[in-house]
Amino acid sequence: MSHYPGAGPTVHDPTTLPRDDNVNNYTFCVELKGSQWFLQKGKMIAYYGSIDFNGVGHGRLDRLVRTSFHSPLHASDWVVAEGSGKMLLADRAFDVNSYDLENGNLTIRSGNLLAFQPSLALKQSIVPGFLTLIGTGKFVAASNGPVVFMEPPIRVDPQALVGWADCPSPCHHYDHGYMTGLMGGLRAMTGLGGASGEEHQFEFVGAGTVLLQSSETLMAEQATGMVPQQAGVPGSGVPSTGPSQPAGTPRLPGQLGDLQRRFGL
Amino acid sequence: MTFRELNSKMVEATVVPGRRLFSQRGAMLAYRGEVSFTPNMSGGQGGLMSMIGRRVANEATPLMTVEGSGTVLFGHGGHHIQVINLSGETLYVEADRLLAFEGTLEQGTMFMGSQGGVMGMVRGQVSGQGLFTTKLKGSGAVAVMAHGGVIELPITPQRPVHVDPQAYVAHHGDVRNKLSTALGWRDMVGRGSGEAFQLELSGSGAVYVQASEEKL
Repeated sequence: MSHYPGAGPTVHDPTTLPRDDNVNNYTFCVELKGSQWFLQKGKMIAYYGSIDFNGVGHGRLDRLVRTSFHSPLHASDWVVAEGSGKMLLADRAFDVNSYDLENGNLTIRSGNLLAFQPSLALKQSIVPGFLTLIGTGKFVAASNGPVVFMEPPIRVDPQALVGWADCPSPCHHYDHGYMTGLMGGLRAMTGLGGASGEEHQFEFVGAGTVLLQSSETLMAEQATGMVPQQAGVPGSGVPSTGPSQPAGTPRLPGQLGDLQRRFGL
Repeated sequence: MTFRELNSKMVEATVVPGRRLFSQRGAMLAYRGEVSFTPNMSGGQGGLMSMIGRRVANEATPLMTVEGSGTVLFGHGGHHIQVINLSGETLYVEADRLLAFEGTLEQGTMFMGSQGGVMGMVRGQVSGQGLFTTKLKGSGAVAVMAHGGVIELPITPQRPVHVDPQAYVAHHGDVRNKLSTALGWRDMVGRGSGEAFQLELSGSGAVYVQASEEKL
């Protein structure tokens, strides 16, 4: 696939399309040979050959869903492609890339995942809005700008985070140096001085890889489904026993708490 | 090199103690090491007067000071980033386009009318720069944002460059610019080429042009 200046766009046919590889930065080609792929609804833009698209939950696919699809409440957003041919995937002109997992795990923002092989198991992450892929296989993900891989320790702007592999779960990091002290207190109380927009990050430590996208523009969030209504499940809304903070956000030193929020500071 | 381009939309900056950076607020993507981000009330360098000057000139972009030691990744809104290294020249750029720049650069505001009087002000309106623009002087690196990729066009005394005002990003060097109009009767009846206004840059230096006519 070479580009000669002035030669016009490259014309592909079923034989020249790449196998499980990028056609260009924004399009990915999947080759199906009687195999199956999970893909998010609406991400297929074209295909050659005979490919069937069935919604997850289709009776025949029950077994497949049992082995490799573990977010039942989120199943309506996914379809299974099976048959033989070549299928092109793209998502709103975002950069698309494939990643290989070998007996590993990777957690990714739900809106960024486009498709994956059924040899991987998809699960809801404990972190709301994220999905975890476990096992061996290939998956395709979109990102706003090319993905940059970084190694921990690193602190990441929440919007720039695409996902992480093999790391322990991220934690929140607040810039206390900025929020406390005389100036911090003044800022918090009066709202003067502005926020740097960088008081809060996700912090990653330990061994692993963190995936970043180069911009802070988020891709549309895909619902990952509700979590079971159970005590101890984050985001389930079931109160835990014992003393807890009244509101969801932590009270930081120098803040006026609810009063401050009421006045929109 | 303070700024290293990781890809077309992301730069990595090295922060060392004693050499601070300024960056647009909220443009940090990730960082490593002990780095602090302080909002800059005055919106850049200088004292109270330059702060008021920037406010009046509407060139007061929310900036923050980046200090400490470590590496910081910058990017914003999926815009393409161009790193421009200055060695003593003056770079003219809109304040909204500044992603990050080194603290060694001297920041100032320029009145468009000071380059060509009334025509300069008209030019500012047409190119979307307004009446004022930001200038950075000294030696250091600047990371500038653009919609679409950026190309650098050299300007030599023999070869002036004509630029679509909407695609203009920044320029540096000893450059005079003037607005050239090619208005004809066709434009009056709405059958114009859409290229009636052009920015003519002459002198010696370089102009940066984005591959899009969309403003930031």
